[in-house]
Amino acid sequence: MYNTSDIRNGLKIELDGAPYTVTYFQFVKPGKGTAFTRTKLKNLLSGAVIERTFRTGEKLEPAQISEATMQYLYNDGEAFNFMNSETFEQVAIPESVIGSDAQFLLEQMEVRVLFYKNNPVNIELPNFVELEVTYTEPAVKGNTSQGATKTAKMNTGAEVQVPLFIEQGELLKVDTRTGEYVERVKK
Amino acid sequence: MSHAGPGAAARPLDRDALRARATVLHALRSWLHDHGYLEVPTPVLVPSPAMEATLSAVPAAEGWLRTSPEMALKRVVASGLPRVYELGPCLRVDEDGPWHGREFTLLEWYRVGAHLHDLMDEVEGLVAAAAAALGVPAPGPWRRVSVRALVAEHTGLDLATTDAATLSSRDPDDWDVAFFRRWIEEVEPHLLGPVFVEDWPASQAALARVRQDAAWPTAHRFEAFLGGVELANAFGELTNAAEQRRRFEASAAARRAAGQAPHPVDEPFVDAVGRLPPTAGIALGVDRLVAVLCGWSAIHRGRVG
Repeated sequence: MYNTSDIRNGLKIELDGAPYTVTYFQFVKPGKGTAFTRTKLKNLLSGAVIERTFRTGEKLEPAQISEATMQYLYNDGEAFNFMNSETFEQVAIPESVIGSDAQFLLEQMEVRVLFYKNNPVNIELPNFVELEVTYTEPAVKGNTSQGATKTAKMNTGAEVQVPLFIEQGELLKVDTRTGEYVERVKK
Repeated sequence: MSHAGPGAAARPLDRDALRARATVLHALRSWLHDHGYLEVPTPVLVPSPAMEATLSAVPAAEGWLRTSPEMALKRVVASGLPRVYELGPCLRVDEDGPWHGREFTLLEWYRVGAHLHDLMDEVEGLVAAAAAALGVPAPGPWRRVSVRALVAEHTGLDLATTDAATLSSRDPDDWDVAFFRRWIEEVEPHLLGPVFVEDWPASQAALARVRQDAAWPTAHRFEAFLGGVELANAFGELTNAAEQRRRFEASAAARRAAGQAPHPVDEPFVDAVGRLPPTAGIALGVDRLVAVLCGWSAIHRGRVG
């Protein structure tokens, strides 16, 4: 069990039958009252954020969470298949868990997979991935106007807003957290 | 945490923040001097720490480091000085966060014959003086409201008729803890404008007199909130030595029940309480005042640590 003094950002606890991670915490103590720790907790299954206050001395139950680095193999139409990079064990993760991250998944890409009670519940992509432009309108030579963009379709299916000078077939660095174009990558 | 005290990595010093703090310290002392208050330094090392079971003192030498100068200053008032203050360091164990530090600066002042509303006027004056010295707008207007009205406003509950389990299903056995959880979760975050919160439950009276006549007994006590932060706590001071001794004993029992060693009773203090004329007293967190007026998100920026 954890104590309130163990509360840190990233601490994973079990609450009302679900795993949560601490995203914010603050010590609060009314001058004439008991001390508490005010927290914001993110539900690792639903992504919903709740606020919860713990009295100093309250016990917190650790979440039954484990993590592994896994390599993406292929999508068989029903699930996304991954292989544990250390044990070579394969796991099928349903589309409902992958969610919108699927648009950045490239075969052989390594991701962090979060397991709750031994079931995969979430994946964490690298912050940046390098993807190839499979289609975009032809480049406009010499057009470097600030802010002007066009849509580019990437080899993973993602659609990214890119500057007008980007050509089909180019390799781009993309931020998976925002879905935004970062820079061109030389092949 | 970075400000955990000795052993923690030192934070870089912020010279502008130290200047701002010095400006406020000077403004507070000037205001108090101009209003007839005598600065009386009292010992930091004390033979018996604060009475409240929720405060933990740092043990040192043959005693403790004070959690506030309250007991010493009341002896000074009882000796016949009607307006006194102290501005200096106090220490409390296990208090660590953006608005708490193990060591902090407290301004505490006492005024014989004053009503709590007089002290509210003085807080408004002191805060305005500090703001003027810093060149920032004085906060205001200050609202004055009772705990009961404020809790009703934000939760729809009447404290006089609400039991612990209704206040907080997680603390059904302790009304005060249930109250504070509800307070922290649903009331305090809304106290953004300057406000004096009056008439606290009698069970949280600490060293204040209690109104026994009312249907729902309350303490002669208020707290000042500024920018969502608890800035000051004031008492219409208890002047009954027998009642003071009873509260010490109740607090010692609470400490024993919580598995802590009870503190010795400060006999010269209990004796002085019996000789206190009607007095109001208040403690104000100076580090918090500086931080709120300067728009900082924590008290530590203006401190060396």
